[in-house]
Amino acid sequence: MNSQLLASPGQRAGTPPSPHRGDTRHNPTKGKFAAQHRRRMFRADLLTVALWASLAAALALWLADGGVSSVGNATQAVTAVGILAGLAGMDLVILMLLLAARLPFVDGAVGHDRALEFHRKLGKPALYLLLAHGLLLATGYGMAEGLNPVSEAVALWVLVPDMWLAFVSMALFIAVVVTSLVAVRRRFPYEFWYFVHLLTYLAVATALPHQFSVGGLFAEGTWQRWYWLLLCIGTGSALAWYRIAKPVIATYRHQLTVRRVVRVSPDVVSIEMTGLRLNELSGNGGRFFVWRFLAPGMWWQAHPFSLSAEPQVGPTSNRSSRQPSLRITVRNLGAGSARLASLKPGTKVAIEGPYGVFSTAARSRDRVVMIGAGIGITPLRALLESTPFAPGQATVLLRGSSPEELFLGQEILELCRKRGATLFHLTGPRAAHGRNTWLPASADSSRLRDFVPDIADADVYVCGPTAWAGQVLAEAKSSGVREEQLHYERFDW
Amino acid sequence: MRFRAGISAAFASAAILLAGWQAGAHVATSNASAVTTSSTGTTGGTGSTAATGSTAAGTTGSSAPGSSSGNGTSSSLGASAKASGTYAGEAVQTRFGIVQVQVTVKAGAITDITALHLTDQEQRSVQISARAAPLLRSEVLSAQSANVQTIGGATITSDAYLTSLQAALDAAHF
Repeated sequence: MNSQLLASPGQRAGTPPSPHRGDTRHNPTKGKFAAQHRRRMFRADLLTVALWASLAAALALWLADGGVSSVGNATQAVTAVGILAGLAGMDLVILMLLLAARLPFVDGAVGHDRALEFHRKLGKPALYLLLAHGLLLATGYGMAEGLNPVSEAVALWVLVPDMWLAFVSMALFIAVVVTSLVAVRRRFPYEFWYFVHLLTYLAVATALPHQFSVGGLFAEGTWQRWYWLLLCIGTGSALAWYRIAKPVIATYRHQLTVRRVVRVSPDVVSIEMTGLRLNELSGNGGRFFVWRFLAPGMWWQAHPFSLSAEPQVGPTSNRSSRQPSLRITVRNLGAGSARLASLKPGTKVAIEGPYGVFSTAARSRDRVVMIGAGIGITPLRALLESTPFAPGQATVLLRGSSPEELFLGQEILELCRKRGATLFHLTGPRAAHGRNTWLPASADSSRLRDFVPDIADADVYVCGPTAWAGQVLAEAKSSGVREEQLHYERFDW
Repeated sequence: MRFRAGISAAFASAAILLAGWQAGAHVATSNASAVTTSSTGTTGGTGSTAATGSTAAGTTGSSAPGSSSGNGTSSSLGASAKASGTYAGEAVQTRFGIVQVQVTVKAGAITDITALHLTDQEQRSVQISARAAPLLRSEVLSAQSANVQTIGGATITSDAYLTSLQAALDAAHF
């Protein structure tokens, strides 16, 4: 077994350190992170409430306009449901835009990847509602005029101003959702999906005119019009500020430049960058930034990578250069990241971020466990460096098929020694009998609890390939770790 | 935690929906009286200009030619002089009901527009046309033509209103 246990200085090697066992177990109301945790949970709940309330409000707009009293027969009922579907569908589209807008409140509460996961889940319902909106209104209006839905749709397209834009918008929404389906998305390169996804903005822009000109609910002089306008303008401003203005400001503020590219292993490189005011970025160990290397042919590619070390600021740095610097560690996962190895020193770098809650901000307990595999080890390295814990209260488990795959393993070992964390190296191939396990064959019979007896009372940070991480998370849950103590970073975007 | 969020979300949503429904019931009551008022006005207008006949004729389709009937004195004083009098425009059929307006022209200027019939097929149509008609009237009076912007949220009513108006103006050789 390639496990290596490093007790903190003064502790007996071989005994899992558990000095306060039982003290704070299952009691999230104590400890230094309890208040922070309660705040974060409150924000997450607030988001849930806001989400449902906005959907209810969209429907209430129609109700408040005397909607119910206007429904007298089947035709009017079909039309009414069509209008409600449109309102709910557009509200979901707006929520999706806000979830993808990198709002600090959302990011701080649930993390960027969870927000995007939810964004993806809303995609299909939103499309179904918009399709229902179109079909039901074509049917309802058609019934009122004695036309079939197709003739009615043609009449709407030709005769009613702004309606042709709404049809274009519908086609765009279909294209965006279909290309985002996992099965379809796999067949095309990322860039194709990205380009089609940008059409969302066009889809929303073409959907708006008919809502305000044809939709009687938002007629001039109604408060409903103001509500809807403010919702749209607010969403647009949030997108413009957080997705365009903030990244541009951060890029100019920090003026990042590649200093050097260091090869860590045959397919892994560390990229070190210098810049200004890097102290403002410290404390974000484990969080990720979106990087754009402004070199020919590369500038349009955005890479989400976590810092693999806290920013080195000022003359206290023990590195060769005394310039402030930060570092990411990258593995060749695709054509895009492969080219990063050949980055020239002096290349300018644009950044967005930091994003995510794979950091101290997500802590809820005093004890912490970090489990990483492969290149997923690198964000843990930065987290280990910065997140607070007393000696003996942290455990690090690193998994790789060979010792060489424990990237930055030497640095982590030094940090564990310095801070008194327990470290296990789990190397070697998986067991041959195909059992789904996150452990190497040599430690096949071990359980998570064998490594970390107190895991139920710890924050568990997991970073690694999706399938592997899924197994770790499942075992952690069965060991008594609650959902809110689990922190998982996806990096296979 | 999730339980707390679920309960709060359910209560908040229910409260919002209830408030909307309550407000809607209020709108519906106040609307009922609005309908009565507007229908009386329409009847009065129709009677005075004897446009009842043209309304009936125009209902058959929106493509009907402007069946306007002027009861004023058609001026024959010369090319420069404009007609004076009251002219009813074509009755335009829309999905929300018939729209027909009547224009009063005096000394070459549009002095008044009366809506003989406005979209009324649903509760909401009444609301929309009640909101749009005064806006359109004042826009037309200041522009002195049917070439004005449609009212947001009342596109169909506006279009029909302006079509009917244009027919009336054509009849007046305006």
